[in-house]
Amino acid sequence: MVTLSINNVKYNLALKGNETLLEVLRDHLGLTGTKAACDESECGACTVIINGKAVLSCITLAADVEGDEITTIEGLADKEELHPVQKAFIDTGAVQCGFCIPGMIMSSKALLDKNREPAQEEIEQALDGNLCRCGGYLKIFEAVRQAGKRIKDAKPN
Amino acid sequence: MQNQINKEYLNPVGKSVPRIDGKGIVTGQTKYAFDLKFANMLVGKMIRSPHPHARIISMDTSKAESLPGVRAVITAKDTDQIKFGSNEYFFPHTIDQMALESEKVRYIGDEIGAVAAVDEETALEALKLIDVQYEILPHVVDVQEAMKPGAPQIHESLNNIAVIMPVNFGNPERALKEADYVREDLFYTPAAHQSAMEPHVCVAQWEKFTNKVTLWASTQAPFKCREALAKTLKMDLNNIRVIKMAVGGGFGGKLEMLPMDFSACLLSKKAGGLPVKICYNREEEFLASRRKHGMIYKLKSGVKKDGTLVAITGEVIADGGAYCSYGPTVIAAAIMRIFMVYKIQHFRVTGYRVYTNTPVSGAMRGFGGVQAGFAIEAHMDMLAEGIGMDPVEFRLKNITTPNMTTINKMIISSNGLKECIEKSTEAAGWSKKRGKQRHLRRGIGIGIAADVMGSKMYKSHESAGSIVKVEEDGSVYLFTGAADTGQGSDTALSQIACQELGVSYSRIKCKAGDTEITPFDTGSFASRVTFISGNATIQAARDAKMQILGVVAKEFSLNMDNLDIKAEEVINTKDSTAIMDFDKAVELCYSFHYGNQIIGRGSYNPNTTPIDFRTGEGNVSGSYGFEAQIAEVEVNTETGEVTVLKMWDAHDIGKAINPKSVEGQIEGSLAMGLGYTFMENLQFDKKGRPANGNFANYRLPRAIGMPPIETILIETNDPQGPFGAKGMGEASLLPTSAAIANAIYDAVGIRLKELPFTPEKIIEALKEQQEKKVEV
Repeated sequence: MVTLSINNVKYNLALKGNETLLEVLRDHLGLTGTKAACDESECGACTVIINGKAVLSCITLAADVEGDEITTIEGLADKEELHPVQKAFIDTGAVQCGFCIPGMIMSSKALLDKNREPAQEEIEQALDGNLCRCGGYLKIFEAVRQAGKRIKDAKPN
Repeated sequence: MQNQINKEYLNPVGKSVPRIDGKGIVTGQTKYAFDLKFANMLVGKMIRSPHPHARIISMDTSKAESLPGVRAVITAKDTDQIKFGSNEYFFPHTIDQMALESEKVRYIGDEIGAVAAVDEETALEALKLIDVQYEILPHVVDVQEAMKPGAPQIHESLNNIAVIMPVNFGNPERALKEADYVREDLFYTPAAHQSAMEPHVCVAQWEKFTNKVTLWASTQAPFKCREALAKTLKMDLNNIRVIKMAVGGGFGGKLEMLPMDFSACLLSKKAGGLPVKICYNREEEFLASRRKHGMIYKLKSGVKKDGTLVAITGEVIADGGAYCSYGPTVIAAAIMRIFMVYKIQHFRVTGYRVYTNTPVSGAMRGFGGVQAGFAIEAHMDMLAEGIGMDPVEFRLKNITTPNMTTINKMIISSNGLKECIEKSTEAAGWSKKRGKQRHLRRGIGIGIAADVMGSKMYKSHESAGSIVKVEEDGSVYLFTGAADTGQGSDTALSQIACQELGVSYSRIKCKAGDTEITPFDTGSFASRVTFISGNATIQAARDAKMQILGVVAKEFSLNMDNLDIKAEEVINTKDSTAIMDFDKAVELCYSFHYGNQIIGRGSYNPNTTPIDFRTGEGNVSGSYGFEAQIAEVEVNTETGEVTVLKMWDAHDIGKAINPKSVEGQIEGSLAMGLGYTFMENLQFDKKGRPANGNFANYRLPRAIGMPPIETILIETNDPQGPFGAKGMGEASLLPTSAAIANAIYDAVGIRLKELPFTPEKIIEALKEQQEKKVEV
């Protein structure tokens, strides 16, 4: 039995041991907000946050993250209120087909949690592992900047 | 309506209102076909050929069938062996692919059957137990080799040429003799891949006894998918329901039914009605979905000293892979797009669409126009240089104008091409930069393009239908057959509906792409949805509005002609006085006395004529969109690396329904164009298998390296367009490679004619340039 803490909920799971976190999220728990576009750690669509760090769930063994704090796209909004990163992605028009967006948002949040005013190079670096085929990234960069500003405005210190 | 009306969203057309599906996407709630899971759902896998070209001698599936956990195995024997394809009317012989092949396989990955099992592991195990005996046939991978007499014959056609398309106007040979400058260039463009983030995926469920089937699909064209399923499964249209889920990108790759869609339906039938999901992995995406045609584009053209383009001649060879797919249309578009851009009197270009034993080439964003755009726009720059003319001046002299008919009978009404060129060059500082930054190894280049919005290249009509329904609480539903694949058409169409109905965008919900519920629509391709489905939506919203106004007129004994709904108020248009608010008017319609349901309908078929492929004539689109693009680059002559410093894109979009969505389309097109210019090159090994078919080796543009892009929206207010709007999803991709090639020439004086521009090719070209200088 493996106990995983996902979005502040504890799940007791009977696992074989070789399941990836991605499989557990999508297939066992129905948390399908986390996507996968390559299964070989190239696309970033499966990005989740573990203990504050952006991590690829497709190459993370579920059994290895027992006891860690796992956040997925489903756990980002605070009850009724969207997280500032989610809001900014909508307001800047960064969303197109949306398939890369959960991963993009998780990578962006992990960056902003450490640095609310990232420089352009830092944004590019943080998102370089996340592929988007629709949009060309520019509106996503803008979303990250806007979200950072909103987070800062809400809690100046 | 109970919920508050958002006044910011009154008159939504022209405003960047948030995406209608935005909250679902950013919270992970939006369901893609990829996310679907039903009780007792089986996993389906395709049985594929391991050989590039072989005859199927026998196929024994008994071992796989008896493997515990396997619920169904199908082969061609289970099918009616009906072929499918894209252009039945003009090129019946190009309907050449069987839903499952029975006699021959024509590329590694070709589908000959499918299995369904309780889990993926069992399904993969079952694949290993399928025993197929093949007679190996000689194969051919290279397109030029395939055209030689004696090459392995892949289908019935002579020299593997599936389609020859000669397009002739005037007398180009005579005109070339009268030209002051003539030059010939040969361009190579590689195969590439759509690489939508969501792979091809579907779930099918057969209903026993009623013999209906439902397919949940990731598709750009649910109604075309239904049509192909009905044909190949020999079923009535209304026994097939295709439900388009949220689609994680398409770019042409999800425009057709694939054998997997067909197989999922049949597997479910054979498994007694259990749902079957087939989901491609990334390797299968590159191997067995669809890809972009690699092309060899030869051009020979002549100009007068004053810059007049007198004649264009040439030849296009397109590597089609194993089956035709959308090939006939792609080759036509690769030749004929130029008529929308340049005024030409004398023209002769012949296209060849050729079979090879490689993955199937089909539609990819731009439909042949990307390959052609590179060749033509680079060629134009060289022609201009030949007569010592600035490339911008040269283009301004030869471009199409508003209110003209092209030589192939395309009727152009609004045309902002001149303005696009003027505005983009002005923004980029063209006259200050062109030819003046070589000491910095910096250069600036231009490319221009035009595009259709819809394409009458098929026999069938090209209409869109729409229903706008107003509920008794004043909330609004839009039902459209259009397929939002990420471009934001559900949002744009909802904006159009609310604008015409005179209400806030916060009232509306959109239900799209369900063949059993929504009206028919041919789908998302040829940049057609805003223009065609948008016009249908205006009609439906107007019809709904008239129904409301009819009740109000009756109740108050007013003349309906003097009534309208504007910004949530029913008004008297004579004196602009408000009569009642929208909610009250709807309440009246649904009152005890009237009981009048508000259901507006719209159907729009653009006033176009099918293209006649024998002559190249036809007004394929209801209107045409235009585009100019500038690139500024810096070349590192030591490493061969090119940095794109900035790009400017001016686009005649008629009217931006949602400016942010429009910008998103332009930026996304440019990113795809940059990928094709610098890195994307789908290669095949000696057996025709993708040599770099994964994201580690087939590199897509990433966050690092995206240049800044300045978009300039030119609003020409098209007379046919919904609120003046035109379609615009593809044009920005067409001139990107040429704009960059032309900028590289301006920077360091080398002419690159083969995509992609890798550092190695640049170093090579610089070396050649040095050697030439030494010789001189």
